[in-house]
Amino acid sequence: MHAAWAFAMAAMIVLIPANMKPILIFSVAGNSQENLIITGVEGLWSQGFEPLGMLVFFSAILAPFLYLAAVSYVSASWTLQRRPPFLGIVFRVAETLESWNLLPVFAIACAVSVVKLRTLGKVSWEPGSLWILVAAILTMLVVQCFDRRCAELYVEGVK
Amino acid sequence: MTDSLRYEVSKALTATSLVLYIPANFLPVMTITITGQVDSLTVMGGVWELYDTGLAPVAAVVFLASVFVPVVKLLSLYWLLALHGSDIAQSRRMKVHAFLVRIGTWAMIDIFLLSILAAVGQLGILASVQAEPGALFFGAMIICTLYAADIYKTHMIWRQPLPQTT
Repeated sequence: MHAAWAFAMAAMIVLIPANMKPILIFSVAGNSQENLIITGVEGLWSQGFEPLGMLVFFSAILAPFLYLAAVSYVSASWTLQRRPPFLGIVFRVAETLESWNLLPVFAIACAVSVVKLRTLGKVSWEPGSLWILVAAILTMLVVQCFDRRCAELYVEGVK
Repeated sequence: MTDSLRYEVSKALTATSLVLYIPANFLPVMTITITGQVDSLTVMGGVWELYDTGLAPVAAVVFLASVFVPVVKLLSLYWLLALHGSDIAQSRRMKVHAFLVRIGTWAMIDIFLLSILAAVGQLGILASVQAEPGALFFGAMIICTLYAADIYKTHMIWRQPLPQTT
């Protein structure tokens, strides 16, 4: 649980550059374009696919961040043995969002898209993709370390 | 939510995703235009295209995630729900259910791929990727299968149904 807290905090910090830095730069015949996670959401939105844009926004940006925040709230309170308010609600949030934590999937999609775009024009990796990869690995570690059963008992006040 | 309601909702979601599966796979998910060449791709078409350009391993990843996983999910959900309340293969069903929940999100790879590619759409005439209605059906199908597996809880495999008294 200590480890879950540490990894969750680290992953939240890493998520900031992962979202702010471009993932890749694509160029065709001299025109080039930087891609961030949010650019994809904008692209889908402006093409009239608002539900898909929302889905990507939720699962690639919002859900990972909320999940990590919820996990660090619960595991921090367990580590410090203090009961802050809304512990139960926050734990439910973490539980629900665990299956919506799609960063590793997004990281693979990035790799595939680079390969695919390479057939269309020039593509270069940017540091953002590396940050996403690190964030994805850290979130997987969080899922591994966060002891759900233990947290559930703690939240319900048994331990 | 009671267990029998969970069972009903899970059944409904599985049926819905079965219906959505058809347009999701037969309608194009995106149209790629590159220097005047227009190319409409379905999910499977995208896999073929990757394979044709000699990127077999990448094609395999996309195939596994967006064609294989949804089919396996639908079949095993159907199997789980068909055996609901019986005492056949309970421990195997439990393993299958855990597996379903774990692989559930992998089909999202296609949606993310589309989102990254759609950003290229802003390059104008030279190169553009336009999302197509098939993607909407695909996204809806993924969400339905995700919830169908999520709402069916493991303990429901072991619990015998109460005798109906109506």
